[in-house]
Amino acid sequence: MTQLLLFNVTNGLIIGAFYALMALGLSLILNLSNVINFAHGGFLVIGGYIAYTITPYVGFWGALLIAPVLTAVIGFAVEAVLIRPLYGRDPLYSLLMTFGLAFIIEDGTRFIWGAQGKPVTIPPFLARPLSHEFFFITGYRLFMVATVTIAVGLIFTLLRYTRLGIRIRAATLDLETVAAMGVNVRMLRSLNFAGGIYLAGLAGALAAGQLGLEPTMGTGLLMPSFIAIIIGGVGSLTGTLIGGLLIGVASGVTAVFAPAASEAVMYVLMAVILLARPRGLLGEEGMMT
Amino acid sequence: MATPFQSRRFDRRSVLKGAAALGGLSVASPFVIAARAETPIRIGMIDPLTGVYAAVAQNEVMGARLAVDQINAAGGVLGRPIELLVEDSANDVGTGVQKARKLIERDQVSFLIGDVNSGVAQAIAQVSNEKRILHIVSGGHTDSITGADCKWNVYRVCNTTSMEANSVSSLLFSQYGKKWHFITPDYAFGHTLQKAAATDLAKLGGTVTGNELTPLGTTDFSAYLIKAQAASPDVILVLPQGSDMVNCLKQIVQFGLNQQAHVAGLQQELEALEAMPPEARIGIWMFEWYWNQPGVPGVDKFVADIRKVNGGKVPTARHWFGYTSVHTLAGVANQQKTLDSVALAKALGNFELPPEIKLQPNKCYYRAGDHQLMTSAFVGEAQSHGASDPEDLFRVDHVIAGDATAPAEGETGCKIQWPA
Repeated sequence: MTQLLLFNVTNGLIIGAFYALMALGLSLILNLSNVINFAHGGFLVIGGYIAYTITPYVGFWGALLIAPVLTAVIGFAVEAVLIRPLYGRDPLYSLLMTFGLAFIIEDGTRFIWGAQGKPVTIPPFLARPLSHEFFFITGYRLFMVATVTIAVGLIFTLLRYTRLGIRIRAATLDLETVAAMGVNVRMLRSLNFAGGIYLAGLAGALAAGQLGLEPTMGTGLLMPSFIAIIIGGVGSLTGTLIGGLLIGVASGVTAVFAPAASEAVMYVLMAVILLARPRGLLGEEGMMT
Repeated sequence: MATPFQSRRFDRRSVLKGAAALGGLSVASPFVIAARAETPIRIGMIDPLTGVYAAVAQNEVMGARLAVDQINAAGGVLGRPIELLVEDSANDVGTGVQKARKLIERDQVSFLIGDVNSGVAQAIAQVSNEKRILHIVSGGHTDSITGADCKWNVYRVCNTTSMEANSVSSLLFSQYGKKWHFITPDYAFGHTLQKAAATDLAKLGGTVTGNELTPLGTTDFSAYLIKAQAASPDVILVLPQGSDMVNCLKQIVQFGLNQQAHVAGLQQELEALEAMPPEARIGIWMFEWYWNQPGVPGVDKFVADIRKVNGGKVPTARHWFGYTSVHTLAGVANQQKTLDSVALAKALGNFELPPEIKLQPNKCYYRAGDHQLMTSAFVGEAQSHGASDPEDLFRVDHVIAGDATAPAEGETGCKIQWPA
């Protein structure tokens, strides 16, 4: 039993890292733009399908690099055309907009690529377990964790040490003052939105190798990401990261004792944390890291 | 000068015109009646065109549309054309029920077909029964639809979960081993499929090492697979369908579990095999219909007809379900020369499908006692690559008649209550 538990804790950390990648993108957008992006799962699917489409031309590694960038470009355009006009209004407007957008993206991908799933093949050396005993740690899952770690490291470095990052953090705290100091807030929001969508695209390109690529792929991954943000605390990227890992482990451990409750446990965990600490683990209004 | 508020008196010319119009109407009325006779007979079809079963649902609709075109080209039903009205249940019981009511009450459909999702199909069957509409469940497999919850107006084309389990269990037991571990989707279809296979296994003398219930839409199966591997079974049986099955099999192969135990299942579909990478296409399964049947009458034409409307791709079992459902309704209505639901439902008992519709070697008929189509099971092994065609991803070893896989009528629990 102890070994089974250990297996599931490790496995939960791997899954949690993936949830964290999704949740970080959501969190970036929510913090600066105050937009609850229900279309984030849709952008994940777009990232997966773009990777699938360009793989024959640029290979697996090329697709992994290019697909998130192309997804971010689409995100940039969507922000400029659909989201930007709603910034001055009640956040409910942008929520409804992204909610509708999620359906449009799902049906759009179904229209372009068909309802039937697409087979995605990953490099053979990644598609095998590293050891017989720890069979669930495959090369690909380890590679996913490494990619997530690098991406998260880059995001945190960018936010802490670059001019753009400092402006994003400042604008999160006080948008009006930053605007008054001459920063192009409109562009800042667009770049930040595109950054969040880049993470969704990266998650999609990675997930396509692990899961079945089909138009509803993002639906099941979106809710854990929202829960990760709520558990970690809205406004805190570190909290989001911890929240993602925590629900992954909780889900894995529950699967040992009550498999049917392994998804429900996320909601229970969220309820318990909200009762004990309504702002989430590290949440504080306007705090970035 | 007359104002608009003043009443006008009829003059002689007006009376004459009115009389002429009345006479003209009586002459023209046969044409009006004739036009009414040409009003299409409507068939409502409800399937989850969005959601995890979208691919299979769309194929059912495509098969149904092909049947509608063929029937209309051959003169329709009772001399009237038929029209297919398709609604999306979105894999949701509430939506399915709402769409069923809309089709019956507003669109006045004469027949109903659907749904892929067993839970939705059962709920729709309640509505069709209440409204006395003849209803064919095209693709929902759970036993009770033609078992304990059977209804006088509901027939089913696809196999029951018991038929699926019975067709494969003994082969799996003899070829793969006697300790089975189930990965089961946590809803009506999964529960009855697992129960049927576990019952078969107990009769054969085997043991169940565990049963992992996975919610519909599960993306990561690793936690369940860790438990399955720890139980050291001979066979891991993968029962989820659609994208859940694709995810599960991909992960099993990436974990190398297929090197430690046999991996197989009961129901497999071409849509799922095509969505997997080649290395994940493994194991013994059953197909409910397969397109590559050399020498069986009508199959080549059906394959060619579907290829024309399906971007060159071959038909799947789902195309055949939709196709057969529509042809059944049209066939029995033309045979009985009525649209009366009760008369047609009675006539469908023991109704045998002709060769160009059944498209399989064995006899194929609706059983009178439980309204279940006795259709064949195509048992064999998944192939990583197609031998004769890129889509020939399954090797059929046995085609077992429905009579041999279905439980006896008395064992289904079905007691049909006919309306007074």
